[in-house]
Amino acid sequence: MGVLTEEKKKLGLEVLSSHEDSKLITHLNSCVHCGLCAKSCIYYQVDPNEHYVPAKKVDIVSSIYRRYNTFLGRKAPWLTNAKNLDDTTAEEMVDLLFGSCTMCGRCTPHCSIGVDINYVVRKGREMLSRMGYVPETLQATVNAAMETGNNMGITTEEFVDTITWLEDDLKFEVNDDNANIPLNVKGRDVMYTLNPREPKFFPLSISAMAKVFFAAKESWSLSTKMYDVTNYAFFSGNMEEADAIAQRMDDEMNNMDANRCVLAECGHGSRAYKWEGPNYIQKKLPYEVLTSVELLAQYIRDGKVKVDPEHLTEVVTLHDPCNLVREGGTVDDQRYVINKIAKNFVEMTPHGIDNLCCGGGGGQLAMSEYNERRMKIAGLKAEQIKKTGATIVVTPCHNCVDQLMQTNAEYKLNVKIMTLAELVADALILE
Amino acid sequence: MATIEIEGKVFEVDGDGFLSQPEIWNDEVARLIAKQDGIEELNEKHWAIIKIIRNNWEEKGMAPMIRVICQETGVRLREIYELFPLGPARGACRVAGLPKPDGCV
Repeated sequence: MGVLTEEKKKLGLEVLSSHEDSKLITHLNSCVHCGLCAKSCIYYQVDPNEHYVPAKKVDIVSSIYRRYNTFLGRKAPWLTNAKNLDDTTAEEMVDLLFGSCTMCGRCTPHCSIGVDINYVVRKGREMLSRMGYVPETLQATVNAAMETGNNMGITTEEFVDTITWLEDDLKFEVNDDNANIPLNVKGRDVMYTLNPREPKFFPLSISAMAKVFFAAKESWSLSTKMYDVTNYAFFSGNMEEADAIAQRMDDEMNNMDANRCVLAECGHGSRAYKWEGPNYIQKKLPYEVLTSVELLAQYIRDGKVKVDPEHLTEVVTLHDPCNLVREGGTVDDQRYVINKIAKNFVEMTPHGIDNLCCGGGGGQLAMSEYNERRMKIAGLKAEQIKKTGATIVVTPCHNCVDQLMQTNAEYKLNVKIMTLAELVADALILE
Repeated sequence: MATIEIEGKVFEVDGDGFLSQPEIWNDEVARLIAKQDGIEELNEKHWAIIKIIRNNWEEKGMAPMIRVICQETGVRLREIYELFPLGPARGACRVAGLPKPDGCV
């Protein structure tokens, strides 16, 4: 981390002085310090230190706002608890906004007056990004996406070889030589996307979705140019990079001439494209954007695929990805799908829009420096899972899958972690 | 800089426990890291996977695709996740002494 120059400081402060963002100004001026948000935060629950109270995260941003944007803050900062933006403050912001927040947004509905705390945290991250304070480990993932087109630096050749390999496997699995994983076929109904960790390390979910597409007789294709559903700039707060990544997806949708953009099971990727995407690229998307969770539910509801209702007798539970559920509104579809397949579905407490984050959100998985904190927080999710008595945990988000895999090992849960597509693929009745 | 101590040996690591100096890696280090992950003994399949990952990293500067690991070692995909319960990235790559890969891993 460098010394905060006047020039960088100015770039950071610009985020707070934009008069166009009335929402931000309102929310920076509204916290009444009631403290009710404290217990909603997973960091505070695990370590009840005032440092972790969500209001403190709002406070650090609003105290800088007051220092530079209000009369009293400029003339008598000590009277209004206004704070200078300097190296110490910037480092405190890094620890609070990057190191102590998964951007899960649980504090927001728990706020007594409705401050969008999550939004303020994102704006704080945007300031830090402009000032060059994004943790290197997180920035490396954004850089890989910017430089190579996907966040794991997979070459086109490696990607094509992997898909071809999976396609051979699919033909064998469904016993049909016509089964395929189409690449770069224009004019199909669906352009499907992936989280790069699937082709790189965890391809069973690609095979699963391909099998479902085969069963549904879907007209679909992947693009080799742009298949990465993630947008880590959403976490780093670099708006130019977030825009560029969303724009790439839009460009490729147009190039592929598809009707529907189906986002892989990825919480933040869904939020960053389906909900934030139109804001990033400043246009209404002229095609349908839906998550694969919604698509899987549609297939079953419409009878396009048939699943065996007796498929699973083990106790199954569901982990709700925050960005898909609380921040994305997809709450019932994953439950509908699981109930069609598992006879013994047990919910966690709490669940749905009040769920607890797994601890891996907000870019935490990429930021090695906070690993210890992240795994401590995972204890909450481990307890929730234990209480359900489940042996299978389904979660429609690859990021959550990774955090849960680590949690599984660390807390010796001995459960199987699955994506929703994997659950459906295993239960398919092929005609 | 964080450190981990396994059987009296101390290694400098990043926050996720990946070696800070991948060049100090050798078979003994691999055995020790694996032990920390609960893999008491590395069998032939473990070693085949570790060597492919290590060689790929030394030649190309990154971990190989899972396809390459499967095809070159002959180990079935699902078996890899059983051999390394933390998966190819946090499990196998760490045992092979690589820095942590970018992305959702």
